Amino acid sequence: MITVENLSKTYGQFRAVDDISFTCRPGAVTGFLGPNGAGKSTTMRIIAGLTLPDRGTATVGGVDYRDIPNPGTQVGVLLDASAQHAGRTGREILTLSALTMGLPMSRVDEMLELVSLTPSESKRRVKNYSLGMRQRLGIANALIGDPKILVLDEPANGLDPAGIHWMRSLLRTYADRGGTVLLSSHLLHEIEIIADEIMVIGQGRIVASGTKAELLQGAGAFVQATDNTALTVALEQSGLAVTTSREGLLVEAEPVQIGKVAAAAGIALVELRPADSAGLEDMFLQLTATTQRDGAVTPGGPA
Amino acid sequence: MSTATPTAPVTIDTTRPGVPFARLLKVEFRKMFDTRASRWLAISTGILLVLVTAIVLLVVGLNDNARVSASDWYLGVMVSVLSLLLPVFAILSVTGEWGQRSHLTLFTLEPRRARVVTAKLVAVTSFALLLLVLAFALSAVGNVIGAAVGGYDAVWNYDLSEILWTVVAQLAYFWMAFGLGALVLSTPIAIVIFYVVGLLLPFMVYAPLVSIFEWARDIVPFIDINYAITEPMTGQDFVGNTVDVGALEYLRVLSPVVIWSVIPLVLGYLRIMRDEVK
Repeated sequence: MITVENLSKTYGQFRAVDDISFTCRPGAVTGFLGPNGAGKSTTMRIIAGLTLPDRGTATVGGVDYRDIPNPGTQVGVLLDASAQHAGRTGREILTLSALTMGLPMSRVDEMLELVSLTPSESKRRVKNYSLGMRQRLGIANALIGDPKILVLDEPANGLDPAGIHWMRSLLRTYADRGGTVLLSSHLLHEIEIIADEIMVIGQGRIVASGTKAELLQGAGAFVQATDNTALTVALEQSGLAVTTSREGLLVEAEPVQIGKVAAAAGIALVELRPADSAGLEDMFLQLTATTQRDGAVTPGGPA
Repeated sequence: MSTATPTAPVTIDTTRPGVPFARLLKVEFRKMFDTRASRWLAISTGILLVLVTAIVLLVVGLNDNARVSASDWYLGVMVSVLSLLLPVFAILSVTGEWGQRSHLTLFTLEPRRARVVTAKLVAVTSFALLLLVLAFALSAVGNVIGAAVGGYDAVWNYDLSEILWTVVAQLAYFWMAFGLGALVLSTPIAIVIFYVVGLLLPFMVYAPLVSIFEWARDIVPFIDINYAITEPMTGQDFVGNTVDVGALEYLRVLSPVVIWSVIPLVLGYLRIMRDEVK
């Protein structure tokens, strides 16, 4: 359980975190989604006791992180996979963590195996690791103390698609056993794959949150007809809001309503479905459009 | 995890023991020697040691009149060589974490930052003491070999006062290195300040000043540890006159220690306690 209440942090004139409140519950993977500089990392550093907030509180299991005895065995934290001494080997970094937490050295080998770093890779210096390997090492480092709560900042960054699915099953198993996971990403498709609950953050504020299904409810349906123009007219006559999306239309309605309208108007449909990932992507871009640095909304942009 | 049921509330155990200091110390000691940089520092010092020893032995062997005593081996050879590069270990012990940003992990595993820094300071101090013991042992070996090579009877002139004051000066240098590192949290800046204050100024500035000006002999001991310990250690001043060593001469040693070791250490601690870790 991670609880954040009315958290704010300002750097000079820049409001990095602006009155954020949320909870991460056990048994779920909570995803923090937002563009770079939205305040994800600052929030996570505050949770881990590394940054002091100006206002508000962040507690882990009801306790201030800095009051947790031997915290590595209770909360696993990965804030930046590249923030490791480049001159140490991967194995050495895990060994140091195990020594600090007072764990048996067998945990080092268990973790290396869990994240699929081979013995020869583990003896290489981190300087020679790819970003994906650093992420795996960082995950191993966060999990080595067998914590019940995980805080991971951009853990999927640098992983290939297979790696992202590996992480999904790893975190899925972890959450199913009752673990609490908070992770962040600036990429929608990573969060979509990995997280159960999503919080969208932009300019230090949470602009939307809920389960994937809840977030999609407002996203409507995607429809494509042989004659999109005719369908648009028919739908608008029925009082439904229609926007053009790629090859088809995004309609703020349930698919069944659209089907009825199309049937009544005698228009043949090519495709009709709830707006899933495309809808969430549009929503993400829309939600963050006002808050993004470049301001430009790229249809079908980074996914 | 094995005992947790899917919806069991996740709680934090605030009663379990924290990370004991001895474990932090062990980890910090290990961290001084497990990087590529530290390995090369040790190798360089080893090579330097062999080179200097070889030169001394060469001189002793070729020159019939050359005699090197135990005290010379200790102070002039071993301590000088070992203390030349190795204070960088003290600097890296603290700046390395910030430079590599591994302090993110460091302070999430032990949020009580003062304990971590203290563990580092104790590790650095024990390392310095170990080095002095090593320097002493090597000087005895050097003395025996030197006598054999030079064909003279070994001169065992170790002096307790000399050995103890050397320990004081070396600890002051290691703490200065550590303190500067903690204060600036940057490896290159700390190294530059350390060698300017500890090596460049004494040889290039203080030495000529002291040999020329009377007033410099009164001032320099207040700002340089080596000049400060000279009179208490040898009973002579910088130009070789015997002096009465009184309370002033002893108290004066505190001055450079406070300026270069204590103040940077205190400010460095405060900075690390207060700074945001990012």
